[in-house]
Amino acid sequence: MQFREATPDERKLFYLEEWNKKDLPDFILHTLSLREFGFDYGEGPSHRYNQFMTVEQLSDFLKNRAPYAAYASVALYEQPSMRKGWLKSELVFDVDAKDLPIKTCGCSAGAVCEKCLDEARQIASMFAETLRSDLDLRNINFVYSGRGFHIRVNDDAIMTMEQTERTQIVEYVTGSIVPTDMTIAFGYSQVFRDRVARVFDRLDEQKLIEIGMRKALVQQLIKEKEKVIAMMRKGKLQDLQNFSGMGQKTFGQLVDYLMKLNSALTDGKVTIDTKRILRLPSSLHSGVSMKCVLVRDIEHFSIESAIPKFMREGK
Amino acid sequence: MFAPGYMAILDPFAPEAQDVVRSAPPLDSMPQEIVERAVDRVKWKSPKEMMVDATPRAIQNEILSFYLMCQGTAAVSYPYSREARLVTGAMRETIKYRMYELFKRGHEDICLDVVARSFRFVQLEHDGVVKLKNIEIPREDYFKLRDRRLAEDGIEIVDDRVLPQYVPKYAVRWTDLALLMRYRRVDLTKLYIVHGWAVITPRELWEIFANFIGAKTEEYIASLYERFSESGVPSKLLDSVGQRISALIPPEVELRERFRRVPIGKLRPEFFPPCVKKALGGVGAGVRNYAIAVLLTSFLSYARVSPSGKVATRMADFINDISVVREEIAPLITEAAEHCNPPFFKDHPQEKANVYYHLGFGMALEPRLEDSGKSKWYRTPNCGKIQISAPSLCEPDDFCRGRNIKNPLTYYYKCLAEQARPYTGD
Repeated sequence: MQFREATPDERKLFYLEEWNKKDLPDFILHTLSLREFGFDYGEGPSHRYNQFMTVEQLSDFLKNRAPYAAYASVALYEQPSMRKGWLKSELVFDVDAKDLPIKTCGCSAGAVCEKCLDEARQIASMFAETLRSDLDLRNINFVYSGRGFHIRVNDDAIMTMEQTERTQIVEYVTGSIVPTDMTIAFGYSQVFRDRVARVFDRLDEQKLIEIGMRKALVQQLIKEKEKVIAMMRKGKLQDLQNFSGMGQKTFGQLVDYLMKLNSALTDGKVTIDTKRILRLPSSLHSGVSMKCVLVRDIEHFSIESAIPKFMREGK
Repeated sequence: MFAPGYMAILDPFAPEAQDVVRSAPPLDSMPQEIVERAVDRVKWKSPKEMMVDATPRAIQNEILSFYLMCQGTAAVSYPYSREARLVTGAMRETIKYRMYELFKRGHEDICLDVVARSFRFVQLEHDGVVKLKNIEIPREDYFKLRDRRLAEDGIEIVDDRVLPQYVPKYAVRWTDLALLMRYRRVDLTKLYIVHGWAVITPRELWEIFANFIGAKTEEYIASLYERFSESGVPSKLLDSVGQRISALIPPEVELRERFRRVPIGKLRPEFFPPCVKKALGGVGAGVRNYAIAVLLTSFLSYARVSPSGKVATRMADFINDISVVREEIAPLITEAAEHCNPPFFKDHPQEKANVYYHLGFGMALEPRLEDSGKSKWYRTPNCGKIQISAPSLCEPDDFCRGRNIKNPLTYYYKCLAEQARPYTGD
């Protein structure tokens, strides 16, 4: 898989020959005229306050202008072109492969490979499962954004919620608060246990030493990783203090670190921002020459479906 | 049997309560017993005081005294003031106690009927195993939830009367708790949520519902403040009720508030609403007079002084040092006037005196404390008025829209209150 910047001609080619209004997800199509659109012509998404009454208008615009990037608001407004009369906003999670707190692929920070993209896919799937099974939310959509995944929840039960409520949802879904009782089988305790066990599984010696833990203890924890993970899954996190050298202070440091990593799995600022604009599904991510596409089956997502023709033909 | 409308004693915003309000006597002829109850209810401690007889007259007294208490509070303070917090705290305790008492007397049904109007809830099934809508709740979880709640309340020995309050019995939809999440009265990560339902004990149900009524009361008082800003000086009765409530603030709370207010009593420009920020940056001809002499003058003075304890007619009733006006409020107004295009006071030097006139110091250029009250201290105009008089000033942001703000001061006080609200999750 090769990521490279698209040329202006390739952008034009994409919008003229490949972009199709049928690739717009229903949740955008059905609310098109209520959304604010933003465009980037190479200097960032600074062209905002656009409204399209019909999909044909949007189509003409994209074909004529072939923007570097196209965005649509997560919010619905009475007057999107003035960003006035806020009605409601999707609940979104942005899982960006380039910003994952732990990368097991060897990619440098800010870079993306197939392995870290797959890691982002797994995280998005895991978050959606919590939203679906714990919080019983419906109409959960996945979008491949070019460098990661967006979860976009269009459930009326939460769309009028404000920043404070959304902050609490992020905390719940990412597992970034220590639960009152870690041993309770269902509910948030289970989410927390799963998240800390998962993140610990991906840690290496170096990371743990970096937070100031003693090398001997770190080596012991890594050597007995399976046992540690089993403790975490059972909610017996306190038992980690039985490891020699794991005093209360070090234990607290470790738990804080794991929670910090959990909270970094998604960009919380995106979730709580009710007037955010997100990359428009169906549009071209010109920075990596990939299509931003709706993902119907997250478990079997193939990046092939996001490669634009000009990249295939250029192979 | 309860009289029709008894539900209103648990929810003063219910339609039954609205019916009572509609048929209420005018404020001037409000019976003394209602006036006394409006003040007394803030200091209720005993069950006898909090419970209401199931007679139409008792229900009417209860509802009217609640509304009089709220209106009196709004008349002499500002949204989210210590008076407002005292009143909402008392309301929360009253509702919680009433729920408890009605449960104890075997009237769970009436409580659940009231709750069902605001929250979707179900009862857990006990059929050998505990089930929530066909989902089996592990026995261990069931007992852990009970023990956790007992531990939270510091209860070690339980009897047959206490125990049922702590046993998981209901489940409410977590999405219906949004208002409480907004007020940080509910933490999502502390709830036991299964498939969208938060499993709770009777005690938690009372707390959730009492907090819900408390939050609605707080919002109601804020809306009254906006209404009074529109209609001018509140009546003598409301002033008197409000002053008596204000006098009930425990000295330690007042002291704590004062200390808290020393550093933040100073203006916090980061919490100013968009219209005020715009006015401070200077505006063009046409709206200068309104932006400077009307909006900024009233907003900055009320925001800085935060009049509390009596109806605000004279600034001297709330400050004892004129430097608050000369050194804190006036320079901001002068600077904003300078930023106008063309500079406002250069064009209209007489408007400088008009600023002090709007602050209540008469036509003065060097105001003294003793001049306070020579003219009217103008209240901050509501958003509706600003939109009509100076539409270019009004560019609502998310906070204005999301919180349905109707007065620039409500925006400011609400931001301050939310910032001050403790939250363990941060």
